[in-house]
Amino acid sequence: MIIQEKNISRNIIISGLISLTLFCFSDVYAEQDDKLQFSGFARVVMGHLDDENAEYIGYGNAISFDQQTLLGLQADFQITDSLSVTGQVIGHTGTHRESGLEWLYLSYSPSKSLQFKIGRQRTPFFNYSDIIDVGFAYPWITTPQQVYSSFFFSSFDGVMASYEFAGKEFIMNFEGYWGSFDGNIYVANDEVDAKVNDLRGIISNLSYQNWTFRASYHQTDAMVSGGIRLAELSLFGAQLRQLGFTQSADSLCLDGLSEFYQISVNYENLNYFILTEFTQVTAEFLIAPKMDSYFVSAGYNFYPFTSYISVANNRSEYGQPATDIPIGVAPELDALAFGYQAIFGQLSLDSSTAVTLGTRWDWKSNIAFKAEVTFIEGDSNDRAFFNIKDTQNFDREATLYQLAMEWVF
Amino acid sequence: MKALLCLAALMSMIASFSVQATDSIVVVANTQDKSLNLNRQEVRNLFMGGVLPYELTAVALPPSNQTRVIFNTKVVGLTESRIQSYWAQMRFSGRKKPPREINNETLLIEYLKSHPGAVAYLPADTDIPEQLTVLFEIR
Repeated sequence: MIIQEKNISRNIIISGLISLTLFCFSDVYAEQDDKLQFSGFARVVMGHLDDENAEYIGYGNAISFDQQTLLGLQADFQITDSLSVTGQVIGHTGTHRESGLEWLYLSYSPSKSLQFKIGRQRTPFFNYSDIIDVGFAYPWITTPQQVYSSFFFSSFDGVMASYEFAGKEFIMNFEGYWGSFDGNIYVANDEVDAKVNDLRGIISNLSYQNWTFRASYHQTDAMVSGGIRLAELSLFGAQLRQLGFTQSADSLCLDGLSEFYQISVNYENLNYFILTEFTQVTAEFLIAPKMDSYFVSAGYNFYPFTSYISVANNRSEYGQPATDIPIGVAPELDALAFGYQAIFGQLSLDSSTAVTLGTRWDWKSNIAFKAEVTFIEGDSNDRAFFNIKDTQNFDREATLYQLAMEWVF
Repeated sequence: MKALLCLAALMSMIASFSVQATDSIVVVANTQDKSLNLNRQEVRNLFMGGVLPYELTAVALPPSNQTRVIFNTKVVGLTESRIQSYWAQMRFSGRKKPPREINNETLLIEYLKSHPGAVAYLPADTDIPEQLTVLFEIR
């Protein structure tokens, strides 16, 4: 029933967005010169996983359209030469993403080089994080999961400053932001409530000839709660603390510092491109593992087509369990130690490798079609981003087939 | 009627041939600084929304335009599809907006003449009005 209601409200949002699009469309060209500009993006993505025992990013054995299909609308209003307001709403079909306002900020540009934004903005962790919903902007259908699935909150409320300067042969850009987030995120397929304070980061971009480089660092104090599993965890932690096993109790904490490191190097010319990204995410709290990830994509352009191959990999690991509960002293303590160890045993790991082959066809200057096959292989006992239905019979190998239409307007 | 059609076809062939023949590009601006010169990288930056220490605003031709295709190939070094996806990324992440597009070369020259600071690319064999300055040329 709840799911049904969710679907209905989602449908209402989407049909509302569609009618708004049609409404905007009729005026969009006439208003080019005006201070108010409408634009948007849409994608229809079809996916099918060749395995009955698991799901991958929401796709199961049945063909489905409702995981990444979405519609986004953006309005930009220029108040004065240096002041503008931008708002973006997105209607998602995917169950793991909430529809609604993703961007709403006031932008102030005292000069061409300098820009300040205040309000709700997308979190710019990695190269494609802030445009992950704009499929038209990247070659793949799905950005490499091994890099882009870490526990993320897509937007934050805060301030961002950016400064850009150019030499004769290069352009360099620095961005710094600070803000907070309070909402639901998904950690290892569980929906949890996250309170994120002091989210901050610095990003640098360099373009030199056909090369672009991006390096960034982000950190935050996050606290997660909600759900039966986390409630049980914090209760168990409190019990351990009462009994004096502080190390064990500390290791079960659900808040702490998270850090994100990212480097990407891209080269592209008329004929081919190479895109790479390397990331590391560490978190002091229990349910988020340390993740080392990368992807390398190489593509060949034969206009209007682009074909690419992509390899993505990640290793994830959790901190070691504490050892301050003595074993072999009393059966009660053994039971406690066993219960404590079991928690670490249940944490799901995502170490996996994916190889993707795909082709993008730019049919019109604003419409592209894509087809993509992804071969996923996870470590034998890991979750590997799969939502596993049958643990016994699933070999952690599956192939995902996807088709997509990408549209910007 | 048939002759007229043939003539039209011939004319368009000649027209397309002449466009093919002159794949040199000039970048011209409505600027007071007649000595201003830009290098290829600076022109690329200007048309990709980057900052330059000059008061110049890029104006482009539409994606299907042949001059634009030559400009993409020789100056930007990216395909039209890649340029479109770049602008999608810039626009929807609130960073930059693509240059204004003017329908064709004739209208573009008129636009340049009436907008100080405007800069655009044109075929090298275009008659450049005296009030505009050539900033860059590529053969």
